[in-house]
Amino acid sequence: MDGWTGQFLRVDLTTRTFRIETFSEEFANTWIGGRGFAVKILYDELAPGIDPLGPENKLIVAVGPISGIPAPNTGKTIVAAKSPATGGYGDGNLGTRVTDQLRKAGYDALIVEGRAERPTLLSIEDDRVEFLPADEVWGKGTMETNDWIYARYGKGVGVLNIGQGGENMVRFAVVRSLEGRSGGRPGMGAVMGSKLLKAIVVKGSRPIPQAFPVAMKELGRDDLREVHAMDKEMAWSTQGTTGVLPWCNEVAALPVHNFHGTHHPDAWQVDGERVNAARVATYGCPNCTMRCGIGILDDEGRESEVDYENIGLLGPNLDLYDLSQVAALNYLCDDYGLDAISAGGVLGFYADAIERGAVTGDLRFGDIAGMKRVLGLIARREGEIGNLLADGTREAARAFGHGSDAYAMQIKGLEISAYNCKFIPGMALAFGVSPIGAHHKESWIITFEVKQTTRGSYGRDKAQKIVDLQRIRGGLFESIVTCRFPWVELGWGVEHYPTYFNTITGKDWKLEDFWPISDRIYALMKLFWLREHPETDRSADFPPAAWFDPSNADTEGPIAGMILDREQYDGMLAHYYDIRGYDTRGVPTRATLEGLGLGAEAAAAEAFATLR
Amino acid sequence: MTITVKLVGGLIHTIGFSERVLDLPAGTTVAGLLEAIGIDPARPLIVGRSGWAIETDDEVRDGDRILVSPVFSGG
Ligand code: SF4
Repeated sequence: MDGWTGQFLRVDLTTRTFRIETFSEEFANTWIGGRGFAVKILYDELAPGIDPLGPENKLIVAVGPISGIPAPNTGKTIVAAKSPATGGYGDGNLGTRVTDQLRKAGYDALIVEGRAERPTLLSIEDDRVEFLPADEVWGKGTMETNDWIYARYGKGVGVLNIGQGGENMVRFAVVRSLEGRSGGRPGMGAVMGSKLLKAIVVKGSRPIPQAFPVAMKELGRDDLREVHAMDKEMAWSTQGTTGVLPWCNEVAALPVHNFHGTHHPDAWQVDGERVNAARVATYGCPNCTMRCGIGILDDEGRESEVDYENIGLLGPNLDLYDLSQVAALNYLCDDYGLDAISAGGVLGFYADAIERGAVTGDLRFGDIAGMKRVLGLIARREGEIGNLLADGTREAARAFGHGSDAYAMQIKGLEISAYNCKFIPGMALAFGVSPIGAHHKESWIITFEVKQTTRGSYGRDKAQKIVDLQRIRGGLFESIVTCRFPWVELGWGVEHYPTYFNTITGKDWKLEDFWPISDRIYALMKLFWLREHPETDRSADFPPAAWFDPSNADTEGPIAGMILDREQYDGMLAHYYDIRGYDTRGVPTRATLEGLGLGAEAAAAEAFATLR
Repeated sequence: MTITVKLVGGLIHTIGFSERVLDLPAGTTVAGLLEAIGIDPARPLIVGRSGWAIETDDEVRDGDRILVSPVFSGG
């Protein structure tokens, strides 16, 4: 089967056993890989209602047919599980050498089950699987753990690891790799921690099966060069994603003071120009010629790799405008293995709740020492407040009460990424309908909204654009598994990807052949959510009340006096459901599921949902 | 009339400045402003005034702060 190894590696940490399983070409054609494989496996194998932090949960590490092939930005891997943050399907992607090493070892996915008896390093070298003690690094941060692994295996192996955040099952703990890559915002690191799995090391020695390896090599080499030239011409990686910060500030889309503000006169102090000027190192994922990881020094002289989301949430959202201080919080998140977006959301919410009197405490906005201290409490689940905040904003709001859920900036249990949508209706909807919670990776439509529609409109065109982007970003890129940035940032045509796919698999697919598969993946993620939350209704797809509250509107600036309109948002949501073939409750109809080849799933879904 | 131009991202490095105050004749369009700073108006861009997009044939006004950004599609 060209393009796929045709094998999964299933590992049981409880029994310390493993099994190599095969999958069919029909399975590959139906789900492609990456997120497609992950959601199918988890949906089929997890019993509803299991504890995401219990041994019954499974961690999936999955790649796709073009992952690891030398072509633009193919060094990404998907990590997935039932999410401890949302209770639904959760996943994330990260740049790692695991991508090509897993394929060279002979697998398109690794399925990790059970729970180890003691801290474990899972070592995979082709058909050899070992369960090695990791007690020496249990309790250590990801930086030291990474060094410990490199000292034993060299730098050429693929590594996934967790820090104290994952060990202590912080619900927004991530998986880490290389010197600065993170993935799995909805708590994938916590799932590793719950299994006492400190790290995974992968090494492979076999060729990746490809239909036309010589043609792919030439195509990949040429395209890597071309993407590099485009990046040089546009100077995108000079600032990387941090270049977007002044844009968000100017158009009033920056999260400031727990998302209450949308812009700030001091924002320039933490923007892409300042980041580039402070650069001491540059990092990238494997197979990338537009490396966007910018290392700067923090206030303690440690190197911290920053990007826009992290700066937005750990900087302006916390009223911090000293870049070295923001870098310090970012370093701590990376070392603890915490998602910096959610960490910034949680810290901002806590400071806000104190300020508004919903809870007593001494954390103040702009207090860098306090922020560092509370972050440490969270990573260690120390004390009542550390333990509570480690469960995320939604749970903290439940405990604080006093209406604090209105400004708990999360959707479905996942903290909102760094785009303040007080008056960006389409992007608010993109966050609202993201199947894994408020993540920007599924669909990002702000520039479309600002440029090609009226910013304040709630039309069907915006709902349609969200679906179109979900198909590309959350469907295509997450299942063939590659970084979206050449397309997103440089305008590298999306039509290149079917060409890579066909050259590797020997198929003759067109771009539109991927859309039904994307839709199938989204429908199954939705069914996963419904099975876990049978009581769910449209409100699950709504952003927090603060974005609809006229008293929360800006008092000056570009969107002074403007705020989202709940009724019109609901109308746009109805368009989204309609385009997707979901009913008015947001449940896929039987006809939709059957049309996507999910007839068996539709029949089984009757146990937890009434299909229309 | 006096216009402030703010460039974003890679444009800062390819054009050579981040923010600049320009003195332009009344009636200058966005296209005219872009030409004045060495950017081809036909190039795909997002141009904004106070958080709202404007087109290349729109006139700029005295006191405007104009944001010029590459077209990007998010993080
Ligand atoms: S553009 Fe950035 S995130 Fe994408 S592959 Fe390159 S370094 Fe990784």
